[in-house]
Amino acid sequence: MEILAQLIVSGIALGMIYALIAFGYQLTFATSGTLNFGQGEALMLGALVGLTLVGHMSYWLMLPLVLVFGALQGIFVERVGVLPAIKTKSEFGWIMTTISLAIIFKNVAENVWGHDDITFPSPLPTAPIQFLGIRVLPMEILVVVGALAIMLAVEMFNRKSIYGKAVVATSNDRDAAGLMGINTGMVITFSYALSSMTAAFAGVLIAPLTLTGSTMGVVLGLKAFSVAIIGGLNSGMGVIVGGLILGIVETTTGYYVSTGYKDVPGLVLLLLVLAIKPSGLFGKSVIKKV
Amino acid sequence: MSAINKTSIVLVLIVAAMLPTIWPNPYYIHLMVVIAIYAILLLGLDIVVGYVGEVSLGHAALFGIGAYTAGVLNFQLGLPFLLAIPASIAVTGLFGILLALPALRVNGPYLAMVTLAFGTIIQILINEMTFLTNGPMGLSVRKPIWLGHQVTGTDYYYIVLVALVATIYVVQRILKSHLGRAFEALHDSPIASDCMGVSVYGYKVYAFVLSAGIAGLAGSLYTYSEEYISPNTYNFELTILFLLAVIMGGRKTRTGPVLGAIIVVMLPNVLSDIELFKVISIGIAVISVVYSLYMLVTHQRSLNQVAIPVIATVVLATSGFFMENITDHRLTIFGVMILFVVYYLPNGIMGFLRNLVLKFKPHWIQRHVLILEHGDKNHVWSVPDHPVTTNGHLLEARNIVMQFGGLKALSEVNLNIAKGTVHGLIGPNGSGKSTTMNVLTGIYKPTSGEIEFNGKIITGASPSKIAGEGIARTFQNVQLFGEMTAIENVLVGLHHTFKHSLIDVVFQTPRCRKEKHTAEVRAASLLQFVGLEALANEEARNLPYGKQRLLEIARALALNPSLLLLDEPAAGLTAPDIKDLIEMIEKIRGHGITVILIEHHMDVVMSICDRVTVLDFGQKISEGTPAQVQSDEKVIEAYLGGSAKEA
Repeated sequence: MEILAQLIVSGIALGMIYALIAFGYQLTFATSGTLNFGQGEALMLGALVGLTLVGHMSYWLMLPLVLVFGALQGIFVERVGVLPAIKTKSEFGWIMTTISLAIIFKNVAENVWGHDDITFPSPLPTAPIQFLGIRVLPMEILVVVGALAIMLAVEMFNRKSIYGKAVVATSNDRDAAGLMGINTGMVITFSYALSSMTAAFAGVLIAPLTLTGSTMGVVLGLKAFSVAIIGGLNSGMGVIVGGLILGIVETTTGYYVSTGYKDVPGLVLLLLVLAIKPSGLFGKSVIKKV
Repeated sequence: MSAINKTSIVLVLIVAAMLPTIWPNPYYIHLMVVIAIYAILLLGLDIVVGYVGEVSLGHAALFGIGAYTAGVLNFQLGLPFLLAIPASIAVTGLFGILLALPALRVNGPYLAMVTLAFGTIIQILINEMTFLTNGPMGLSVRKPIWLGHQVTGTDYYYIVLVALVATIYVVQRILKSHLGRAFEALHDSPIASDCMGVSVYGYKVYAFVLSAGIAGLAGSLYTYSEEYISPNTYNFELTILFLLAVIMGGRKTRTGPVLGAIIVVMLPNVLSDIELFKVISIGIAVISVVYSLYMLVTHQRSLNQVAIPVIATVVLATSGFFMENITDHRLTIFGVMILFVVYYLPNGIMGFLRNLVLKFKPHWIQRHVLILEHGDKNHVWSVPDHPVTTNGHLLEARNIVMQFGGLKALSEVNLNIAKGTVHGLIGPNGSGKSTTMNVLTGIYKPTSGEIEFNGKIITGASPSKIAGEGIARTFQNVQLFGEMTAIENVLVGLHHTFKHSLIDVVFQTPRCRKEKHTAEVRAASLLQFVGLEALANEEARNLPYGKQRLLEIARALALNPSLLLLDEPAAGLTAPDIKDLIEMIEKIRGHGITVILIEHHMDVVMSICDRVTVLDFGQKISEGTPAQVQSDEKVIEAYLGGSAKEA
């Protein structure tokens, strides 16, 4: 029983990272119907840039700089990869361009930071805290708190500020928002900036718990796809629940079955959700008007 | 097929057959085998990417499943080559079904996301299931021994060549048949396709499974070519390589995949030799500069448009002189190539050449197969697939409620349509007429209520199912298959008359040819009925608005409906055209087809409708003969506002 509780706790931290990346998918999918297949690479770049910065300053000072870097990276992806494809209304176009940008980022990262995984110095004590016999790393608590905080901040921004209202309006109906004088192109760029920013943030959150390296993003980005679909591509609550489900399922499968198979239940779950409720556990099915 | 085409195909085959004698080096022969195998896979991938318009990131995994099925069956059970190949096709097809059934239920990038996840999982499974696959150690198989003769590399080249030619032939047959037409139709207008009984979901799954089966064939051939397989071959990079090959070669062609395969197989060789890379990248830069200059001089492109590709190619060419070693930057170059192709060669090399030919010798290329059948009056009408058997009303909608969030578009609407009548449905804008149409044809699932058609409850059935039951429709905002010709549009409506199977298509059986001929005569006759016979081979998007509406009627009639829903057919028609339309609707009624007519031209409604229902704010406010409705005070109030007395 204690082992199970322990697995659940580790699963929660992992799940929150998935949720944070999936949240990034949702942000851009809402405004433009596109998503960045290189979200995992945005996370990886955030972590590696953070690693370089941490050599010169404290972890906490580095955070805002990484957020700015993430936002700029998102703008770059949108301008180079997504914008031209939106203009030609080509789904194939944006999928291929975001993938090819991801490949390029990964290759560049390999050439700059090398092929080997590097440890990221932890800003918090690495000794676990004992809690009813369950050991929790302080960093795991920071992951959960940090992930929730940034999602909450983005949500508050969307709900309360006038710029946020422009984002919501664009999500609801891009053409109508455009007619009302909202620069929807700017809103889409902005959503990409936010999206990559959250990914870069997720990168520096997870980095002290795992190793940093050019390949760290691929699998995380992929898992977040499952989370986004399981939770629903348009439900904020959904990604958190979806992330937690996937995180916990993975750590428990890894322990009880085999670490080799820990990625398999995620896909099975994904296919099941699509078969039973294609809009996701928490997603609303949208009726397309004719 | 023209004589020139036939001779060129024969010539290409002869050259392909002679290649091993020209280059007897085993390394080259092996490269040619791999090119042919990739080409087979790409022909299948093109069905999904080019025709259906979905993105699959799982074709490397499907290729791997094919390879491992053949490998495992041979290694563990000793199954011979000729049995292992069909087994691979079947198993990979099954995996295709497993993926496509859930992933294609929703529109959007879901297939890409799911297949990407699938790709990683398959690699993990191959690695982990050591009892079957021997894990990371890989499997060894030998080329078959036939009649005491060990098949050599050169022999195997001929085997793969035969497989490639067969695949090209089969894929070509399928895409030129009603199946290919269905694929193109669902890509062009999914809604119209569903309402013509061509289920978008069903045919997308069909296309994906076909494509998976072909990937299985390619995979199993690969196993015997390499004689050793290991899990790491079938990775994400290979998937991207396949997609690059399809778009670079040219989508929706048979030559494109072959060309794409040649490029991506040679690519690693180019990218490992820096001298060769310099030569080729300089070549590409020169071509791009010359072409851009030509476009600038002829004012076809502005400086801004050509600046980026020219700079990119020149940077690529100069970068060759600064890199000491190219393998470290291989993936970056690869990514830049994809970006370049997506933006500047969206139709691939074949598409680019095609456009060049079209510019100088337009008559060399036919965009569509001309269908020159002549229609006649005897072939316009046919009996419905499901004859009308009910004794009561043909259609009864009971207490229909349709709610969009907080808005009730329809509240408690009852509608009874008598057999053989023209039933008008009128009301001010926003009164729920088109919503009613969409509920009746299954595009919207009603929040509550029940619809009975021809004695069957059809509430909640899919649009294609309802179309199959015999309800055809036209659309308020025209939904034609724009890139298809007029007659092809009608042929999509006749899809339900093609009862022959894939096997018939591949072998062009008499049954297949007969059904095709019958359908073409029927389509020509229907076009004649609506007065469009002269425009049969014109692309639908080029027709004037009024003619497009008439084409929609012809397409709907092709479904052999017992109930026809016309949504504002007179919109955009001139006065004499409207007179023809009224005559047409009367003829349709004369042949026993019941009609529901939404129309704003009151003269049309009043002159042909037997009964009229009036909707306002989602509620039925009046029903009766045209005369009764016209004098109903509620109706006058709805249209003119205020009460009649005040006015």
